[in-house]
Amino acid sequence: MKFIPKSNLAKLLDALKADYDVFVPVKKNDQRFFKKYDGYSEDIVIGEVRTFEPLKAFFSPAREKVADNFDPGLPKSKNKPYAIVGVKACDLKGFKVQDYVFTENDYLDPFYKRLRENNLIISADCTTAIDTCFCLSLGIRPFPREDYDINLSLCRGGFLVETGSDKGKALVEKWAGLFSEAQDDLIKQRDAMRTDVAGRVEENIKAREVPDESKLKGVIEKRYESKIWEDEAKTCVECGSCNTICPTCHCFLLYDQKGEKGMARLRMWDSCMIKDFARVAGGANPRAKLWMRLRNRFEKKFDFFPKIRNINACTGCGRCISACPAKIDIRNVLKRLVKNV
Amino acid sequence: MCDRVNPYRPIETQVLDVVPETPTITTIRLKPKEELTFEAGQFIELTIPGVGEAPFTPSSNPSIKDEMEVTIMKVGKVTELIHKLKKGDTVGLRGPFGNGYPMDDFKGKEILVVGGGCGFAPLRSLMYAFFNRSGEFKKLFFRGGCKTPRELVYRDETKKWSKRKDLDLKLTVDKGEKGWKGNVGLVTTIINVKMNYKKGIAVICGPPIMMKFATIKVLEMGFREENIYLSMEKNMSCGIGKCGHCRIGTYYACKDGPVFRYDKIKTFPEIWE
Repeated sequence: MKFIPKSNLAKLLDALKADYDVFVPVKKNDQRFFKKYDGYSEDIVIGEVRTFEPLKAFFSPAREKVADNFDPGLPKSKNKPYAIVGVKACDLKGFKVQDYVFTENDYLDPFYKRLRENNLIISADCTTAIDTCFCLSLGIRPFPREDYDINLSLCRGGFLVETGSDKGKALVEKWAGLFSEAQDDLIKQRDAMRTDVAGRVEENIKAREVPDESKLKGVIEKRYESKIWEDEAKTCVECGSCNTICPTCHCFLLYDQKGEKGMARLRMWDSCMIKDFARVAGGANPRAKLWMRLRNRFEKKFDFFPKIRNINACTGCGRCISACPAKIDIRNVLKRLVKNV
Repeated sequence: MCDRVNPYRPIETQVLDVVPETPTITTIRLKPKEELTFEAGQFIELTIPGVGEAPFTPSSNPSIKDEMEVTIMKVGKVTELIHKLKKGDTVGLRGPFGNGYPMDDFKGKEILVVGGGCGFAPLRSLMYAFFNRSGEFKKLFFRGGCKTPRELVYRDETKKWSKRKDLDLKLTVDKGEKGWKGNVGLVTTIINVKMNYKKGIAVICGPPIMMKFATIKVLEMGFREENIYLSMEKNMSCGIGKCGHCRIGTYYACKDGPVFRYDKIKTFPEIWE
């Protein structure tokens, strides 16, 4: 394991700017947001917890042009690939769903692939937990174990560095002068921090009786006709925030408009909570009622993806809990489904 | 197969002809500028440039490679504009998407085709696919229904079809009108054809309610679940299983359907909705 002092990390990020659009998490009030890196400023927070916006926003943008008129090929893209710094373990799990949807599952999405294939992911351990964190319930720990190129663990004077891919290894080798061998006491410090943060998440889970994912198997089918859905959907205002903020939600709307040269086709994030999501032109709507759409959201996450990909499409990031104006708490819904109360 | 480089890009397409079928249903003949062939039962996305696109199943003979026909009912924003199209207009096409009817599995069998309303459209294409390989199938039955004689599509064609030796065709309307000499009653009342139901194939396409009752009926008659083929109308958009709109159980209608064997989807909720 390597160590990089903070000042050298700044040098590394400065150097990466030549080949990448580098994004780092910065803190604003009590939230963290990704911002384009332009020198190592005071507000950069590599540790702490996940950002406000989900990682998917880089690779499947909220709004993106996918066709210009009848022109063959793809509309132009950005020149440099992304290097995203400070990505948390919960967002990395989002890749497992997004990558599957857009690059496997029979067909390849050229736009996602283009943004994703040359990227650099420099992830980071969480150094704290907030009260919406429940990643442990979904089998994720608050520190990355896979799907990163380089991982950083905040420690005294800098960061411990692990590589998770050939690309990451090559980069550390290329800039070997910036790194030193990690000292044992720093590794101990890191391990203690990891245990401490996991403990905090565990406290959240205990306090709210959030079921472990081992208890979720088959629960959607079992409670398909339950009154829980109607009850939970009572306060929903159909805003779709839970979808847009979710690192695994991938649904989109193809939207045509008159462009400079005739026609432009855009794709935008869509929400399965919106009434017309599954409605057909003839008027039939398989999910006409709001509670059916809430049930469908859970079905997609905890029944569809487990069946087709052996994965729950939830990362325990808790963003949907913070985003919901109706205070619908995914942890509470899962608890009710498992306990049937 | 759709454009693999950019599956969201429509192919420039010329409108060759517009043929009104009924007051609300029109068939348009299209010529894409790039190759776009299909199998009966597959669907395409038709773009009105700058406005939007909607999914349709071609209704023409799939062996015609450079043109296709689409039969469209006026129900929404895009279809209303499609009805206003004129010869020479430019539209866009994407596709074909999904799985059509497995013609080879039908070889040597007795086949009952049941259509309702605008659900006729994909079946017209299927009937041509059968006619192209006439003799390969043991016996063909076509049973079609719609609400009133006025709403009956492909009149001249079905008249010609009724003279074919390889086809037993019967049409019905829910409610008769002056001059209608054919059958009156729901399509489910005329599907008890003379064939071995246990070994036969049933193909059903139409509005959800008709598909539901026709499926119940053919099951009662003795057709096996795995021999019943349904064409599911869902809100297909991207066509490649990414956008999420047409999910049906563990499938997406756009890439795993729209033609499904009944036994594959029977346990899913919402299939008739």
